[in-house]
Amino acid sequence: MTTQGVILIDLMALGFLLLILNLVRKHDLVIGYALLWMVSVIGLMALVTFTPLQDFATKAVGAVYPASALSLLAFVFIFIVLIYFSVQLSVMSSRQIELIQAIAILELKLQEKANLTQEKARTPDSAQY
Amino acid sequence: MPQDNKPKDDRITTPHVLVIIPAFNEQKSIADVLLKLRAAAPAFDRLVVNDGSYDQTAQVVQALGEKQLRLATNLGYGVALQTGMKYALQQSYEIVVCLDADGQHRPEDVPAVVQALLDKDADMVIGSRYCDGRPYNAPIDRRIGQLFFSHLTRLLVGQRIYDTSSGFKALRSATCKNLIRMTFVDFHVEMIVRLVMLGEKIIEYPIVVYERSAGHSMYSFASIFSYPLKTLVLTLVTAIDVLLARRSQ
Repeated sequence: MTTQGVILIDLMALGFLLLILNLVRKHDLVIGYALLWMVSVIGLMALVTFTPLQDFATKAVGAVYPASALSLLAFVFIFIVLIYFSVQLSVMSSRQIELIQAIAILELKLQEKANLTQEKARTPDSAQY
Repeated sequence: MPQDNKPKDDRITTPHVLVIIPAFNEQKSIADVLLKLRAAAPAFDRLVVNDGSYDQTAQVVQALGEKQLRLATNLGYGVALQTGMKYALQQSYEIVVCLDADGQHRPEDVPAVVQALLDKDADMVIGSRYCDGRPYNAPIDRRIGQLFFSHLTRLLVGQRIYDTSSGFKALRSATCKNLIRMTFVDFHVEMIVRLVMLGEKIIEYPIVVYERSAGHSMYSFASIFSYPLKTLVLTLVTAIDVLLARRSQ
């Protein structure tokens, strides 16, 4: 990769890092997810900047060109992240369902209790006559 | 065959029974179902699980003075049933009956289905349209699905269930305990397979089912494709899960 290309990618990566930090500062992104993205961006910067690392990654995945190795690694990363977020969404959905169920049951129980209290309040009056 | 309209619940005095009716936008049919159920099974408690309806379902149920669980948003048939089961377990009901709110099932059959559960000492009774050699007379797409899933139950658990998609069921609270922690789409094949594999006794009881009296079916055009796939995957996952649990025990 040319020096110009490396500088451009590193600058973009730095921009991403700043964006992530700003999102954390504004409480729009929780630190757990921010760390995931920061580590990924730093990893990308390292791969692009250091040629021996690029050669090692290219050999490790059995690719001929570094660009192919980077594309493959990016694809694997995106795939894993998408599965991870699907799992997170499923967990959140299950929790939401449990909460909605609990609220509905609590509401009914409160209503039943209120009805019972009302009935009890009425009973002594009617018993006098 | 439960053809007579006479209430039969006078024979069932001991068990504490809750009839769960999941309802989503059923303002036109819910009152009729509840009134018929009141007349047919006065000893049983009734619970409407209002699954985020945005029509007048909640008001109709309230006006009739019936219990209702109001889910804040539409969560689907399976989750609505599950919520009712959770309530039933918390309130120590012994038997739970699931009945559709669209008027397809005869509330008059409820006491007979509960009686079958007690008489046959079963864990779950499915109100069935197709047992006793009755033909599958649904539209072709549904008929294929029903036959496929019916044979799938036989393949997986060795017991053929003729009507796997019936919404009319009676089950014991102990059986509900096996269900409330699970993910189920519609409480159909996936749960039947799970229960049979766990050693629960499931039988079918012949019932009559009418066309829905009002409202819209919960199944859209897309669900013709998505429902069988989702159910198939969940059924296979359920079977594997039970087998792995058995192995680890």
